[in-house]
Amino acid sequence: MSQMLLEVEGLDKRFGGLHAVKQLSLQVAKGEIVGILGPNGAGKTTLFNLLTQFIAPDAGRIVFKGHSLRGLKPHRVVALGVARTFQLCRPFPGLSVLENVLVGSLGPRVHHPDLVERAMHLLEQVGLSSKADTAAELLSYGDQRRLEIARALATEPELLLLDEPFAGLGSAEIEAISALIRQLHAEKQLTILLIEHKLREFMQLVSRVIVLDFGEQIADGTPQQVVENPRVIEAYIGKQGAMP
Amino acid sequence: MEILIHGAVSSAIYAMLAVGFTLIFGVARVLNLAHGSFYALGAYGTYVATAILGWPLLPAALMAIALVALFGVVIEKIFIRPLRHSQLGVLMITLAISLVIEQALFLIFGSEYRNVPAFIQSKVTIGGIDIAGQRLLTVAVAVVAIGALYLFIQRTRLGSAILAISQDAEAAKYMGIPSDRIFSLVMAISAALAALAGVMAGPFLSVQPAMHLLPIMKAFAIVIVGGLGSIPGSIVAALMLGYAETIVAYTISSSWTEIVSVLATLLMLVFRPAGIFGKRAAF
Amino acid sequence: MRGLHQLDRSAAIVGTAALGVLAMVPVLFPGNYLIGVLTVAAIYGIWAVSWDFMCGLTGRENFGHALFIGVGAYAAGFMNVQLGWGPWWSLPIAMVLSTAFALLLGFPTLRLRGPYFALAMLSAAVIMQRLMLIFWEYTGGEEGIQDITPLIRNHLHYYWFVLLLLGVITFVLSWLARSRWGLILRAIRGDEATCLAAGIPITRYKIISLVISAALAGLGGALYAHYQLQVSPQLFSIITSITIITMVYVGGMGSIYGPVGGALLLTLLTEGLRDVGEWRLMVYSVLLILIIFFLPNGFIAPLWQRLRATLRGRP
Repeated sequence: MSQMLLEVEGLDKRFGGLHAVKQLSLQVAKGEIVGILGPNGAGKTTLFNLLTQFIAPDAGRIVFKGHSLRGLKPHRVVALGVARTFQLCRPFPGLSVLENVLVGSLGPRVHHPDLVERAMHLLEQVGLSSKADTAAELLSYGDQRRLEIARALATEPELLLLDEPFAGLGSAEIEAISALIRQLHAEKQLTILLIEHKLREFMQLVSRVIVLDFGEQIADGTPQQVVENPRVIEAYIGKQGAMP
Repeated sequence: MEILIHGAVSSAIYAMLAVGFTLIFGVARVLNLAHGSFYALGAYGTYVATAILGWPLLPAALMAIALVALFGVVIEKIFIRPLRHSQLGVLMITLAISLVIEQALFLIFGSEYRNVPAFIQSKVTIGGIDIAGQRLLTVAVAVVAIGALYLFIQRTRLGSAILAISQDAEAAKYMGIPSDRIFSLVMAISAALAALAGVMAGPFLSVQPAMHLLPIMKAFAIVIVGGLGSIPGSIVAALMLGYAETIVAYTISSSWTEIVSVLATLLMLVFRPAGIFGKRAAF
Repeated sequence: MRGLHQLDRSAAIVGTAALGVLAMVPVLFPGNYLIGVLTVAAIYGIWAVSWDFMCGLTGRENFGHALFIGVGAYAAGFMNVQLGWGPWWSLPIAMVLSTAFALLLGFPTLRLRGPYFALAMLSAAVIMQRLMLIFWEYTGGEEGIQDITPLIRNHLHYYWFVLLLLGVITFVLSWLARSRWGLILRAIRGDEATCLAAGIPITRYKIISLVISAALAGLGGALYAHYQLQVSPQLFSIITSITIITMVYVGGMGSIYGPVGGALLLTLLTEGLRDVGEWRLMVYSVLLILIIFFLPNGFIAPLWQRLRATLRGRP
C-alpha cells in the first residue's frame, strides 16, 4: 500500500446542494499513466482541484509520497511534486513564452545553475523553442497547450495532472500531444493522471482507466475492460447517446 | 427624537446619492468617482441660476438637475465608455474628472460658501423639536424620487431593459436591447438623483468646491455595505449610515462622524466585499 | 536580452550619468530656491519609484500611498519635536512604522481585486488623515507639527544626500524588477491562480512588495519632514496619492526608472506654474486624463526605449 505514489480515500466534497465528489477512493502507482474518464459533471476537474488543494475537501485522505496533502496551500502541493494543467489554457498575459516557463522554474524542487538554459531545454522538448520570445497570449491553441505542459514540467513534478489536454485540438495535434506525453513519461519517469472526455483519444496512452459518474467511481481497469463495462456504457448512453 | 429626525434627513440625502451610484454600477459595472461632483454641480447650478441669473427657485432647480443629467451623459460617453474594459481606468478617470470640476468651481467661485435658497424657509415643529422645513422636505422628496425610480424599473419596459442589462449585459445585447442608450439613460438618472440631493441639501449643508468628496466617500461606503448593484441594499445601508453618523455626532462628537463611513467601507471590503445583500442582488 | 538578474548596462550608465548631472545642476546655477525644488523633486522620485515597484509591476494600484508617506513624515515629526529625539533616528523609525502599517493593512486588503484594493487603501489613508485631526493634542491638528530640526543644515549637501538615496533605491528596485522577483510580480499581475499552480506563494510576494513600497515611501516622508521642517495632515490626502500616480503614469508604469523622470518633470512643471498656483491641481488632473487616454504607457519610458533602439540601429 505504501508503494503507491498517490493514495486517495473517502474523498468527499459538496457545493451547497451538489454532491460533487462522493467518497472517492483511488490509488496510483509510480510510473503509471492513468486516465480519468467520465461524462460532463462527473467531478473530474473537481477531483483535480481537490488533489491540488485549490479547493478544500470536506472529508477524506489524500496522501502523496507519504505526505498528507490536506490543508496545504496550493503552492506547497506543487513544492511536494504535484503539477497540473488547466482545461482552458492559462498563459500568463504580458509575459513571453520563455518567461512563462521561467515562472514555473522558481520552486524549491529545481536545482539547476542556469534556469534560462533549463527552460529553453523544456521548450525544445515541447517544440516551442522557436517561439521563446513570443508573447504567450499570441500563441495558437495547440501551442498554448504545449506551453501549459512545459510550464507544469518546469516545476520538476513527480506527478503530473493533465486536465483535458486534447480539448479543442484537431486530430493531428492530438496525435502530436499524445506522442509528447508518452515521450515525457518515458524520459522523466513521470506519473501521469489524465482527464479526458473521450476514451478513444487516449486508448493507447494510458495503462489504466478510472471512470467517474456523478462523483463516484464506477469502474477501474484497463481501457478494454472499461469499454466493455456495462455500467460505463449505461453512464455514457444515458447521458450523451454516444459510445465512449 | 432629534436623532430620529436628523438621522432621517441624513439617510434621505445619502439614499439619493447611493441609489444613483449603485444603479450605474449595477448596469454598467462603472464605479463613478465623479458622482459626488454631480451633487456639487446640482447645488452650484441652482446657486448660479438663482443668485446670478435671478430665476425663481423651482425652475432654477429643475434646470440645474436637467443640465447635470446631460453632463453625466456626456461624461459617460466621452470618458467612461472607452475605458469600460478597465475598472481601474474608470476609477482613475472619474477621480481625475472630479478633481478637475472641483478646481474649476474653485477658480470660478472661490472657496467661500455659497448660498442656495431653500424651498421652505420656515421652521416646523414636530414632537417638540424645531426642524428646518427644508430638511423635512428633503426626506419627502427622497422618498418620492426613489419610489418613482423603483416603480419605473419594475413597471416599465425601459425598466425591464435596465434589469436585463444589469444581470447579463452580453445576453441583453443579443436580445436587441440597445445597451449603449440604456447606459446613457441610467447615467442621466444617476446624475439627476445626485443633483437633486445637491439641490435639496444645498441650503443646509455647505456649498463649496470640495463638497463632492464626502458625499462620494459616503455613497461608496453605503454601496459597499449594502451590496454593489442592489437598490434595496443601498437604501438599507443609507439608513444605517445616516443614523450611525447622527448617533455618533450626538453621543461622541461630530469630528468622528466622517470616520464612520470610511471605516465602514474599509471593514466591509476586508470582511465581506459582497456587502450585506451580496453581490448582484436583484433590484 | 534574456535572463534574470540582468540590469541593462547602458541603462545603468545613463542613469548614473543623469544622477551626476542632477547633482551638478545647483553647483552651476547656485541658489537655494533651485536646490529646494530639486530636493522636493528627488523626494517625489523616491515616492514614485516605491509606488511603481509594487503597483506598476503587480497592476494593483494603491490609491492610499499617501498613508505610508504621512506615517513616515509624522513619525519623524513626532520623534523629533514631541519626544526630542535626534533627527537621524527618524529614518529607520519611519521605515519600521510604515512597514508595520503595510503588514497591518496588506494582509486583509491584498486579496481584494484591483479597484477594491485601491479604494480600501484610499479609505485607510482618509481615516489616518481624520485621526490626525481628531487627536490634535498629539499631532497638532490642522497645523500639524512644526519646527522639526533638519537632518543636514546645508541645503546643497542635503540635496546630494537625498539624491544619493534616490539613486540607490532606483538602482536596487530596477535590479529587483528585472530579476525573478519582478517576473513573479508580473505573473501575479497576469493570473494569480495560475501562479499558485506554478508553485508560487503569491501572498508572500505581494506582502513583501507592499512592505518594500511602504518602507521606502515612509523613508521619503521622513526626508520630506526634515526638509519642510513641518508636517500637516495634507500629506495623507488623496491629492498626494494622485500626484504620485500621475508621475508614474507619465514616466511609464512598471519601468521603475520612468517614474523618476516623471517626478522630476512634473515637479519642475509645477514650479513653473507657481505663478498660477491655483491652476496646479487642475493641470495635474487634466494631464492625468490625457495620459490615460493617449499615452497609457507613459511618456518617458517609451521615449527611452525608442532612443535605445535607434542608437542600436535596430529597426
